[in-house]
Amino acid sequence: MSSPRKARLEAAIVDAIEHPKKRNSLTRCMKRGRDSRSERLATLHGGAAFRQEVKAIKTRCIEQLPELQSRFIAAAEARGCQVYLAADGAEVAEICLRIAQERAFTQVSKSKSLTTEEIELNDDLQAAGLTVIETDLGELIIQLVGDKPFHLVFPSVHKMRDEVAEIFSKETGKPVPPDVDAIMKVVREYLRPIFLNTDIGMTGANIGIAETGGIVIETNEGNGRLVSSIGKCHICVMGMEKIVDTLDDAMMMVLAHPVSASGQLPTTYVTWMGGRSPLGVDGVERESHIIILDNGRSRMREDPAMQEALRCIRCGACMNICPTYGVVGGHVFGHIYPGPIGIPWTSEVHGLETAGDFAELCISCGLCKEICPAEIDMPLMIAEVKQRDAEEHGYPATNRMLMAAESMAKLGCTTAPLANWSLRQPWMREIMDRFLGIDKRRSFPAFDGQTLNRRFRKRARKLRGAAPNAGSARKVVFFADLFVQYNRGDLGMRAIEALEAAGCEVVLPKLQGCGYPYIGYGNLNAARDAALYNLARIAPYVEQGYAVVTPEPTAAYCLKIAWPKLLPYHPHAKQVAEASHEIFEYLLAQGFEGGANALGKRYGFHCSCHQRPLGAGAGVQAWLKARGAQVEFLESGTCCGMAGTFGMKAGALGYDLANAVGEPLFELFKGSGVEAVVTESSVCAIHLRDGTGLPVLHPLELL
Amino acid sequence: MQDALAREFATAFEAVRGVVHLVPTRATAAEAIVRILKEAGITSAAAAALPEGLQEALVAGCGAAGIALMQPPYLAADLPLSMDGPEAGITGMAFGVAESGTMAEVCDEDSVRLVSGLPRTHIGVVFASTLVPRLVDAAAPMRAIFQQYPKNVTVSFISGPSRTGDIELILTLGVHGPEYAHAVVITEEQA
Repeated sequence: MSSPRKARLEAAIVDAIEHPKKRNSLTRCMKRGRDSRSERLATLHGGAAFRQEVKAIKTRCIEQLPELQSRFIAAAEARGCQVYLAADGAEVAEICLRIAQERAFTQVSKSKSLTTEEIELNDDLQAAGLTVIETDLGELIIQLVGDKPFHLVFPSVHKMRDEVAEIFSKETGKPVPPDVDAIMKVVREYLRPIFLNTDIGMTGANIGIAETGGIVIETNEGNGRLVSSIGKCHICVMGMEKIVDTLDDAMMMVLAHPVSASGQLPTTYVTWMGGRSPLGVDGVERESHIIILDNGRSRMREDPAMQEALRCIRCGACMNICPTYGVVGGHVFGHIYPGPIGIPWTSEVHGLETAGDFAELCISCGLCKEICPAEIDMPLMIAEVKQRDAEEHGYPATNRMLMAAESMAKLGCTTAPLANWSLRQPWMREIMDRFLGIDKRRSFPAFDGQTLNRRFRKRARKLRGAAPNAGSARKVVFFADLFVQYNRGDLGMRAIEALEAAGCEVVLPKLQGCGYPYIGYGNLNAARDAALYNLARIAPYVEQGYAVVTPEPTAAYCLKIAWPKLLPYHPHAKQVAEASHEIFEYLLAQGFEGGANALGKRYGFHCSCHQRPLGAGAGVQAWLKARGAQVEFLESGTCCGMAGTFGMKAGALGYDLANAVGEPLFELFKGSGVEAVVTESSVCAIHLRDGTGLPVLHPLELL
Repeated sequence: MQDALAREFATAFEAVRGVVHLVPTRATAAEAIVRILKEAGITSAAAAALPEGLQEALVAGCGAAGIALMQPPYLAADLPLSMDGPEAGITGMAFGVAESGTMAEVCDEDSVRLVSGLPRTHIGVVFASTLVPRLVDAAAPMRAIFQQYPKNVTVSFISGPSRTGDIELILTLGVHGPEYAHAVVITEEQA
């Protein structure tokens, strides 16, 4: 990312942070989406299990796409539709204009279609003299002011009622009071003649079905029904990835889409069109044109790093949970497709350069992947986009340095007294801020004078080679990662002693850190190298029946999830993943009962994002409760904002954004009356300490 | 079984701001519809795709109550304008989904969609005997419908009134289509 691009992005972040009203409306909208989704999942038959089904269906259908597309076309044609294949937006526009001109049609009314927005079709149609009206209220609002969608599902969520009233009073030439009901009345009257006089009713399609040759249009307002039934001719523009095989597949999409977006089941109106029906009983045939758009999708399908993006069903759930999107919104975090999934999609359909302009906003917390109904691994795809962008423009200097955090930690550890002293000097922090891009306001944990491995070796010498529990059936490879290796070797030793107290023989091979920063900053090859290095040293132990145990959630995430994904053909990655555990989960399973008495203590637990898919810290919370502590799981519903080393970076694209993300969580902790925050993530801990002023403990400190 | 489904349907349809009327027969369904219209002060309505027996009863009921009722056949030349007038639309449904409070309207000519889509009030009539438990179960009746109509057909799932949250996320009903949605569920007679 070059510096003018970075400067533009930073200015946009600052602007967003300075406009809390807009931000709050967005945050409210996202929270509503998440909360109502959770409420629905609590009662939905099978709960969140539909995600696996959606993933399986979309994966299968994308794999079989060429065949399904042929079957869809044949079946749609058998129902009287005309079907076209368009390579790009220009071809779509050409087809639409030909249809309009041949019939002397001028009035186009549309129901919401992201696919037509992707190719900015309205511009082409209007330039050719057609009148194009968006009939979805949110889309209409932004069309009238020439804006772009702020949110996928609620495109005009940034417009308050007084602004909307103003927009419609300008448009209709009559005063409109800033009252939602009054505005609705005006909108209904404004749009009615537009519906009734439509020449071309244009829609997208949420789904195309090969089995029936039909399309599915989901709306809540009912505009899709009116547009597709009244228009003298119907044009549907559909992305090719929307085609599924059967009605059963389609029904699962009809369920998954609104449930994920807003907890609805299903949208108020779901229109299943098989061919086009006459308007009345006298049976005059009417036209339906279905344009299947490629626009980069075939290439995506052939690209192993990007093909997962084709599973996207456009529900918007990923942007409802994305921490940085929640601060800056879709105008900054997006081009036309906003939010996390917007990064790979933009890269593929609007170009790498455009995607690279906002890809840095992804802090790789991974929450999008955990909420996605098709289980798309967005963080990994976004890392790929960052990597491809870096191949063109290089990595930002600070990111390059933070990816090499381990060498710095090593240096800090070797020169601990000097390093720690320097880090306390304001002039040093000033220099680091200005020249290295490390924010001077961020506090740092001190370096330990010796590494954990050194402490462990020293102890072994003391024990004269008689390792505790040597020959025990419970054997553990301890995966330290950076914090207990270089900053808190004492905690590392406590962890090892706890494992030994549980009867384990513990070994500490010479390992590197887990390498997640490489994923976060988009150097997947370096991430693979780190994984290969560690796996080569861990696998021989695992083959002999060792478990792998780590105190750092992100390391556990790498071991269990990221490495097998990065190295799908590695001979041992899956085996190591299965043998890997978070420390407290492992200790509990071994019947460990040690640790300080915590009776009467009240802790607030913070779960790091990478810990969520691993069981959301159930192990450590159970252990604390067994020690007598009262534990409250406090969460804002998204990330704390630190995201590894992201929150250490200077300025808007780092510290400031991390704080804007973390603010609601800080308030929760501060208002909770807990005596300390407990978290297993060493980096979240720094952020929470800085942000709340409360003591923040690693549970190892309570051992 | 169908009784329990009818209750589940009612709960779900009302949760999305619809109103449910459980009635045993076609005749009582007609009475319920006339009552809905009268209580809302509606004097003009249109009907489409109603099951045999109900249509006749409704014509009689509306006549007695002084409600002008438009009936099929609807000619293309008069549409869509003729459907901009009636205050209520009444359509028959092919089946329903209990879990989600969904009614499925089937048509091979779009006047039916205009009857349910343009007026401010929509009344759907569904037989309890056609209710399937869950949304995913709807694939089977959908398959039968699409096989029955090898050419053109449109199925509309309707779950409550037209809604939007596009202004400040405030739930608002009736921005384009029906602001009021009723489901009349016939519980004893079979479809």
